[in-house]
Amino acid sequence: MMIEVENLKKSFGDNEVLKKINLQVEKQEVVVVIGPSGSGKSTLLRCINLLETITSGHVFIEGTDIADKKANINRIRQDVGMVFQQFNLFPHMTVLENIMIAPLKVKKVSREQAKTKAMDLLGKVGLAEKADAYPDSLSGGQKQRIAIARALAMEPKMMLFDEPTSALDPEMVGEVLDVMKQLAKDGMTMVVVTHEMGFAREVGDRVIFMDGGYIVEENEPNQLFEQPKEERTKAFLSKVL
Amino acid sequence: MGVSPFALIKEYLPFFASGTLFTIGFSLAGIVFGTILGLLICFGKMIHNKWLSAPFVCYITFFRGTPLFVQILIIHFGVVPAIFHQSNGIISGIVALSLNEAAYIAEVFRAGIQSIDEGQTEAARSLGMDRLQAMRYVVLPQAVRRVLPPMGNEFISLIKDSSLLAAIAAPELTYWAQAMGAQYAIVWTPYLAISLIYLILTLAMSFLVNRLERRMATK
Repeated sequence: MMIEVENLKKSFGDNEVLKKINLQVEKQEVVVVIGPSGSGKSTLLRCINLLETITSGHVFIEGTDIADKKANINRIRQDVGMVFQQFNLFPHMTVLENIMIAPLKVKKVSREQAKTKAMDLLGKVGLAEKADAYPDSLSGGQKQRIAIARALAMEPKMMLFDEPTSALDPEMVGEVLDVMKQLAKDGMTMVVVTHEMGFAREVGDRVIFMDGGYIVEENEPNQLFEQPKEERTKAFLSKVL
Repeated sequence: MGVSPFALIKEYLPFFASGTLFTIGFSLAGIVFGTILGLLICFGKMIHNKWLSAPFVCYITFFRGTPLFVQILIIHFGVVPAIFHQSNGIISGIVALSLNEAAYIAEVFRAGIQSIDEGQTEAARSLGMDRLQAMRYVVLPQAVRRVLPPMGNEFISLIKDSSLLAAIAAPELTYWAQAMGAQYAIVWTPYLAISLIYLILTLAMSFLVNRLERRMATK
């Protein structure tokens, strides 16, 4: 099991955002999380690599409980790539430096090795010619593809996507989804929070519908989209499909 | 009063020259030590533990909340004699300016660091960087660029504030202007002369900071 979430609760002050979440993600599985805004999907994703502290419960990454204070979170995060809605590229570095910095400083690989890997990844996301550009000069879609390449440079075993296309102009959504589809095809374990129902249906092995801090329903995409069991799922799908 | 102002200035030129060097020296020392100390105090204040950060908060509050002139007097007549068993205007001057500057620099840096989007740290941490690496490689380089203009203002203030050291007989510009004024019972010549020198120094500083800003912006 790559990711195991056990009775996870998360509160911000008095506001309980996640209420007893249980979730398993297997190797090479693509799990898509959908739901209305404020349902806790992003918070769940952020708890999985401890960008949010866990109020109670457990999150196991390949068997290691990251809620345990003794867990080496910096080591574990190297295996868990994350892509953000707002890209969060480092604006003071070139595209190449953005991708090389973590392998260089965290994994301590050689410069040549980091560069070879970075150029290879840039080729894969179709942006090799942007290696020396600064993030400010790129479009949103290009930024997000670089952000994916940057996460992949650490050779993570799994990837978390937090609404990766929500900040993009509509015409740029496709190019980012294409990269993600290829990634899924290559066997990457992925958890994707998204509003792209087409992507969920096409790429997802399993879709999870969250509402009000609970996992309301989960199923394989066709089942969940065609024959939702829960009323709340039906109501949500009727609005977005 | 037959002596022309220029003749007087010519007579005092060596003193003004050495006074200028001292003013520059005091300012440079204040900038260098103040920046190093200020950065440390800034990190101290940002410690999440309230008890550990308290001394740094107190430091900043004291040095920003009391007049520099009073601080200079305390350090010159109290602190330095207590440590070195004699007073020394140059040591007191460097210490006072550095300690005072550090408090202001700390706040400038804190504002700069906190102005960097939280997403930057999150992205760095999600790549496996620890807190220190995220600060060093991602947040600080961006913060430094952002604090350059307010730092420049601090440095310019420091050059001007160093004139207060005349009160403890540190041989900087204002000290020599006072000496000249007292010797010849004149006002305009010495003070206008050093005003001009201060103006050249502060303009040079702002020119330097501007150039640095532009170089960093294009980089």
